[in-house]
Amino acid sequence: MEILKSIYEVAWFILLIAGGVAVLEGYLYSHFKFYRKPLFEVSALIVFPLLGLLALKTFGLAAPGSYSWLAVSEVLILLFFRFAVKGRHTVPFMLLAPAFVGLALLLVYPFVFEVYLSFHDLKLTTIMMWKNTGTLPFAGISQYVKVFTTSPLSEITFWALLGRTLVWTFSNVFFHVTGGFILALMLNNQIRFKGIYRTLLVIPWAMPQVVAVLAMRGEFHATNGFVNIIITKLLDTLPFLGSLGVAPVQWLSDYPLLTCTLINVWLGIPFMMVVILGGLQSISSSYYDAADIDGASYLQKLRYITLPLIRPVLMPAVTLGTVWTFNNINVIYLVTGQAGGTEQADILVSALYKAAFTYNRYSYSAAFAIVVFAMLFFFSVFYLKTFDAAKDER
Amino acid sequence: MKKQLSAAAKRKRLQHFFIHAGIILFAGACVYPLLRILTVSLRPGDKLFSTDLSLIPAGATFVSYARLLGDTMFLRWLWNSLIITLATSFIGVSLASTAAYAFSRFRFPGKKAGMILLLSSQMIPAGMLILPLFLMIMKLKLMNTYLGMIIAYSVSSLPFSIWILKGYYDTIPRSLEEAALVDGTSQVGAFWRIILPLSTPALSIAFLFNFTTAWNEYLVARVVLFSSKQYTWTLGLFELQGQYITQWGMFAAGSMLVTIPVLCVFLYSSKWLISGLTLGSVKG
Repeated sequence: MEILKSIYEVAWFILLIAGGVAVLEGYLYSHFKFYRKPLFEVSALIVFPLLGLLALKTFGLAAPGSYSWLAVSEVLILLFFRFAVKGRHTVPFMLLAPAFVGLALLLVYPFVFEVYLSFHDLKLTTIMMWKNTGTLPFAGISQYVKVFTTSPLSEITFWALLGRTLVWTFSNVFFHVTGGFILALMLNNQIRFKGIYRTLLVIPWAMPQVVAVLAMRGEFHATNGFVNIIITKLLDTLPFLGSLGVAPVQWLSDYPLLTCTLINVWLGIPFMMVVILGGLQSISSSYYDAADIDGASYLQKLRYITLPLIRPVLMPAVTLGTVWTFNNINVIYLVTGQAGGTEQADILVSALYKAAFTYNRYSYSAAFAIVVFAMLFFFSVFYLKTFDAAKDER
Repeated sequence: MKKQLSAAAKRKRLQHFFIHAGIILFAGACVYPLLRILTVSLRPGDKLFSTDLSLIPAGATFVSYARLLGDTMFLRWLWNSLIITLATSFIGVSLASTAAYAFSRFRFPGKKAGMILLLSSQMIPAGMLILPLFLMIMKLKLMNTYLGMIIAYSVSSLPFSIWILKGYYDTIPRSLEEAALVDGTSQVGAFWRIILPLSTPALSIAFLFNFTTAWNEYLVARVVLFSSKQYTWTLGLFELQGQYITQWGMFAAGSMLVTIPVLCVFLYSSKWLISGLTLGSVKG
């Protein structure tokens, strides 16, 4: 019964969306068709905002002033059709409209809403007021000041988090690329069982991340995890390792950041390996043959043929990897996110998630997110500039 | 001459031996944790915390699996995940398929800006939009429902899907559509009857990508769903592994049940997924 009910619920929702898309297309089509008719503009100005208001009322979203907002946007759309589109490009615009509206509602609007939140004060004590009235006390830039002066969690500061994030990102990407590169070089030989090896090596990437991280978290447990068990067994057979400082440790409570890094390195190497292997396989062997005739050593071939030629594949992958690692909440939250979890491993993004949903400091977290976004944005603009410059050089 | 060759062959054989050894070492590190999950899931209830390292534990049973399916709502969680994920992927792929066609075949003002918007949306930290989405879902009174989850997920993979599909449409020769247009169908008809059927591989990859992203998602589900009846499997497993360490066996059993199908699908589709990934990023 429950199953039928859920199917019904979802099917109804999909039909609703289909209906919404149809309405949207009809709305656009009427503009494309009749934008020139004078009567159309007048009637559109009356009819469409009213229909919009009706729709908002049905879903319980109407707020005071909704009508004037709808009317203003209708005027803008009419002007846009009259002076910019002029009835051309009907097909592409209508094809794009559903996706565009979806992105506007669920990507652009949340972003703008986040900016709005960051200048207001939404926290546990004001959330009921916001739910009922939709208004919030204005806070100016005080949330942004707080980002740099108070801790998002209980004690760690913004700057310490920033430093830790940079260390985390750099070390992870470094090990991902080196590990992936070594594995790809080894796999790129004429060896037997290549397909099997490749399959086995991508398993950490292929497993659902939640399963992989939670399982690894269990394996780093001080007494029951295999990491410490293996260390203990190693010490039993090779006692001299003990004098070198090898000993079982409390991974999760004493070295949480190291644990997260180990887990994430394990998770991330296969992706880099696969990308680099793809790059290696696309290098024509004639380059190596020519180098062999010139008597080049293995390292020389690596330095002067392989590296430059896989650069076009490697650079985007490294960029992507950097952004992913910088934004990786999953690993850190799954390892340390429970009640009583440590904050010794938190990076910027996981701290902002915890600030919002563990500490319920919504506006603070929004301001924090805007700051993080700005940093990431400037990094990528700067990076793309230098990347483009390097491209032109070649 | 012959002697030299055999020396080279010897060197080669030695080299290959080291390569095999190195790869096997790495492969072991990759596979071992998965095998450990299998081991733990097979352990009898009183030996969950043994420090034994053997792969098939002494007295292996399927008791954990039986308890997982009988005593917890694991099947319900799987069902919840499945229905949310299917709806999300369906909506995502439908929106992406038409938008990608517009980007692939038409020239219109704002095309470049649109492409840049799509790419730069990938730069937004994933954790950043969770808060406003959470508040929006609360405002819409969709907390703890399928619809709230579907709404939150539906556009998250849209930019990437559009990229993949656009790349694929670009490889389909225009002459096919032109022929159809000459025969009297409309542009939309050509898209519906020619391009879509031809793009089945790309569409299924986009669907698969949407599917795996939503299927494995955890952070949004954590804040939107709060009754264990509505949990997706990710939340359920976190619960099993987190709060009560005694349920490690059930956690492992659940992990195995989820991982094996995902693993098969991934390994089957990895070739296309990877080419899609590199295609999108190289062009960007």
